[in-house]
Amino acid sequence: MAAVPEEARGLPPPPLLNKMSAWLGGAGWMAALLANGFSQRPLLTAGVHRQVLLTTVGWFAGYFLAKRTQYVHAKKDREMFEYVRHHPEDFKTAGKKRIGELLEDFIPIR
Amino acid sequence: MAAPPGRQGAAGSALTARPCDKMAAALRAAAGLRLAGPGHGLVFTRSAFVARKNNYEHPNWFGVGLAFSTSAALWALLFKQHNEDVMEYERRKEASKHKCTGCS
Repeated sequence: MAAVPEEARGLPPPPLLNKMSAWLGGAGWMAALLANGFSQRPLLTAGVHRQVLLTTVGWFAGYFLAKRTQYVHAKKDREMFEYVRHHPEDFKTAGKKRIGELLEDFIPIR
Repeated sequence: MAAPPGRQGAAGSALTARPCDKMAAALRAAAGLRLAGPGHGLVFTRSAFVARKNNYEHPNWFGVGLAFSTSAALWALLFKQHNEDVMEYERRKEASKHKCTGCS
C-alpha cells in the first residue's frame, strides 16, 4: 500500500471496529441518505444497495487511514524519544522539593 | 390541499392569505426556478445527459447486484488485509524477541 510503508507492519494493526472506520462509514451512509433525500425517495428504505456500498467504502477507507495515522504518530514519537535520548542535558527534570524545605521552620512560641 | 378555484392568479392579500395559498405561491416560484418536483417537495438532482423521469417500477437489478457484490468484495478484502496485518505483527514480535534490545 502506498499510504502505509512497509515498516508500519511492525505496529499492532487497528481493530476492524475503530473510530475512523465508524466515522467514515457513517459519513458514507449519510451521503446515501442525502442522495435519497435529494431524489425524493423514501429516506431509509430506498436504495439499500447504495447505503451498503457507501458505508462499506467509508469503512474500508477508514481502516487504511487509521493505519496510516498510527504510523505517522509512531514515527513522530520514535524521532522525539531518540532526540531526548541523545540530548539528556536539555531534559533534566528539576529535583523534587521535599515538603520540609517548603514549609517555614517551626518556632514554638510559648 | 389544493387551493380553491378562483384563487389561481392571486397571491392573496395579507387579510385573506392562508397557509395553502402561501404554499401554492412558493411552489409556483419554485416551478419558475425549475426546482419543483411532483408532490410538495423540491428536487435538486437532474441527469446531465438525458432528461428522463425515474421509473421505480423497474429496478436496475444489474446496478443493485454490482453494488452488493462490490460491497461483499470490499468486506472480504478488508477482513483478509486485517488478518494479514495481525499475522505479520505477531511474526515480527516473535522475531524481535530473539534480537538484542539495547537500542530502541
